[in-house]
Amino acid sequence: MLFNSYEYLIYFLPLTLAGFFVLGRARASFAVGALVAASLFFYGWWNPRYLPLILGSIGFNFGVGVLLRRAHAAAGGATRARALLAFGVGANLALLAVFKYADFAVGNAAALAGLPLALPHIVLPLGISFFTFTQIAYLVDVHRGRAREPSLLNYALFVSFFPHLLAGPIIHHSEMMPQFASRSNKRPQPSNVAAGLFLLAIGLVKKVCIADPLAAVVAAGFDHPESLSALAAWLAVLAYTLEIYFDFSGYTDMALGAARMFNIRLPLNFDSPYHSTGIREFWRRWHMTLSRFLREYLYVPLGGNRGGRLRTARNVLVTFLLGGLWHGAAWTFVVWGALHGAGLIVERAWERTGVRLPRSLAWALTFLFVMIAWVFFRASSLAAAGAMLGAMLGRNGGAQPWREALVHVLAPDAQTSLAASAAALTVGLVVVALKRNSNALAEDFLPTWSRGAAVAVALVWSVLQLGKVTPFLYFNF
Amino acid sequence: MVPPASYGPSAEHASARWLVAVLASVVAALVAAAVFVVWVDPFQQYHLASRFAPRFYFLHHRYINPGLARNQSYDTVVSGSSIMENTRNDAVAKACGGSAVNLSMPAMSASEQRLMLETAFAYRRVKRVIAVLDFNEFAGGVDERQDVAGPLPRYLYDRDPFNDLPYLLSWDVLLKSWRIVVGDTSERFTSDPNAAWYWGNVVRFGRTQVLRGLDLGHLNARYKQPPRTLQGMRASFDHNLLPLLRDHPEAEFDLVWPPYSILVWVDFAQRDQLDVTFAFKRYVAEVAATLPNVRITDLQAERAITHDLDRYDDIYHFDPAVNEWIVDAACRRRDRVDAGNVAAFERELRDQIAAVRTPLGLQAVVDGRTVP
Repeated sequence: MLFNSYEYLIYFLPLTLAGFFVLGRARASFAVGALVAASLFFYGWWNPRYLPLILGSIGFNFGVGVLLRRAHAAAGGATRARALLAFGVGANLALLAVFKYADFAVGNAAALAGLPLALPHIVLPLGISFFTFTQIAYLVDVHRGRAREPSLLNYALFVSFFPHLLAGPIIHHSEMMPQFASRSNKRPQPSNVAAGLFLLAIGLVKKVCIADPLAAVVAAGFDHPESLSALAAWLAVLAYTLEIYFDFSGYTDMALGAARMFNIRLPLNFDSPYHSTGIREFWRRWHMTLSRFLREYLYVPLGGNRGGRLRTARNVLVTFLLGGLWHGAAWTFVVWGALHGAGLIVERAWERTGVRLPRSLAWALTFLFVMIAWVFFRASSLAAAGAMLGAMLGRNGGAQPWREALVHVLAPDAQTSLAASAAALTVGLVVVALKRNSNALAEDFLPTWSRGAAVAVALVWSVLQLGKVTPFLYFNF
Repeated sequence: MVPPASYGPSAEHASARWLVAVLASVVAALVAAAVFVVWVDPFQQYHLASRFAPRFYFLHHRYINPGLARNQSYDTVVSGSSIMENTRNDAVAKACGGSAVNLSMPAMSASEQRLMLETAFAYRRVKRVIAVLDFNEFAGGVDERQDVAGPLPRYLYDRDPFNDLPYLLSWDVLLKSWRIVVGDTSERFTSDPNAAWYWGNVVRFGRTQVLRGLDLGHLNARYKQPPRTLQGMRASFDHNLLPLLRDHPEAEFDLVWPPYSILVWVDFAQRDQLDVTFAFKRYVAEVAATLPNVRITDLQAERAITHDLDRYDDIYHFDPAVNEWIVDAACRRRDRVDAGNVAAFERELRDQIAAVRTPLGLQAVVDGRTVP
């Protein structure tokens, strides 16, 4: 089930919220059980065939966690605990490898060996990257003595809690369980429901009114880079730069908003990343919980910045290469990760010179770098990314009048409204430039009537935008 | 991170008031929008247009047809792709008796045809179905749909009122409703319920039109029709149409092979699709022979029509008079195919194709002369 769907907004969220608080009055465990059931229903809505997968994953990791704790408690159990941890993490990575990377691995092996190997074509279960990473972090935390969960029901809620289940944020056991355990959180708190609704409305507007109109523009541009002039290509990449931010941060706002209604605070995931004046800062503001995961569970165990510049550079590069691959099983994601890793290494080297760039220049360079790297993230192949970069460099001719380029990119077909695309691009740029983002607005949220009117209009307008009437697209006569 | 405890009772009270006001406003606005849409009902999902003249929006078949299937009065259904859109309901009634509805849609797939007919059977006592079969509808997988068809509003084809929200709460539908109320006619539509999808009066028919931009040596360069396999076509037929034929013995099914122009068959020959096509026709004839409620009418060797390019808009689409002739043939039981004569029908058509595939034959069709 998607956050930006009728079934979620009109039926699932209100009913789940009501059920949670009604049952919470009777008994806390009833509320937790209902929330787990609702979360599994949410997960199974797309394809119930994958419910056993997530249930198995939850049961397995809970069991390994229990065994880990026992091993630590037993005298001389450290070696056994390390073996258990390796087994648990390995099994999670194997699950991810089978479902997410099998085609990629077989395809590359076939290309290398020159053999016609058949691809397994395994359908990627929703959210597998997120619930696998969440549970790897849990096992490592149990091993480090930072987490302890004796209740399977609570653990199931920690993993499956629907606001974070499909696209994060990637959460820590230690930051969530006290909230799930709190009895007062089982009672409705209007201030939290109101702030959550406010955040949900912001996220919905971001997704429906900015990201979605830009998606058609971006698809048309990236599908046919050979037809783009330099200006048109830059516009398409700028549109994608905004689309991916508003799509992902909008989704995260809706996740944080929904969780807040249940009196749960999920960790922040975005903090105005396009304000960054460096790559390191960008990664502290973009997909922050993934950065945290990679730092704590990959970069630091690899040695972090201990052991000299070369080792640090190696660790950075490995972390970003794997981080890139986590986003998708394709070389484009690996190159995207490598670019960011290399960018960070260069940035560290620059810092050592002691020369500081003017803030505006640092911002412009960072934004430009991030934009260019997005080309690899969005392109369907390395060749397509090359074609888009070529178009940006003017390979297809750069002398297209700007009005023509605007129309070419922003209204690529009869279904795409120039006004809607241009408005989404303009509003997107303005919002990105604003000082206060949705987190800041929600943090000091006050239930004023002006905000109430804005939220009501935003919700009604966004809901009405969900149902598009798309006629037959091609008329032969 | 436990939620801040700084909110006092008065703050919670203010938040509660705020929430009630906001949610009440949102619910009121959405309910008002839904009620307005139901009242106007631009796609006639809940009632036929009566307060305002009906609007059959250009290329919105997949939205409006399920409404017609639910709410119109009929006992005969015409089902086909764009080639059947020019069929008038009264022409069907005249030829076949009873009352008819045309539920055709452009680029229809077999799975869409099944869904459309299932909807009709779910809401009306259908006595006869004139199903005009298009080979392309059986291309691809059993649930295949053409990309150009756009998303299928599946929620309009079932009885579940709770999943109608994309219709009831849609800005696009709301805007259409408003335009109907204020009499805004800026969108393209027809208003004749007797000929909802009729386009025969807005295009030109004739050989010049048919041959425009056509490479006679590579006809599919323009149409880009997908290749078909016998296995795939049979699977699609078995999955989509056969259950309908079997599950509704109370209804008569007239399966019709439509009279494409002879150039379609030349295209099939150029793409090595002839044998697949004929084998599929034989298969359908075999299946139909086992079902007493199913008959096949084969009009594809009707030389007087198929060789006369002046009757076409392109190599597939014929003029509206041919639509009436098709319905008449189906209901008056002409050109019936059965297991005994299917080979003869095939032989006749193969001979015609062979004659046209010669340089002289093709030129004769192009020039409008008799094929030697």
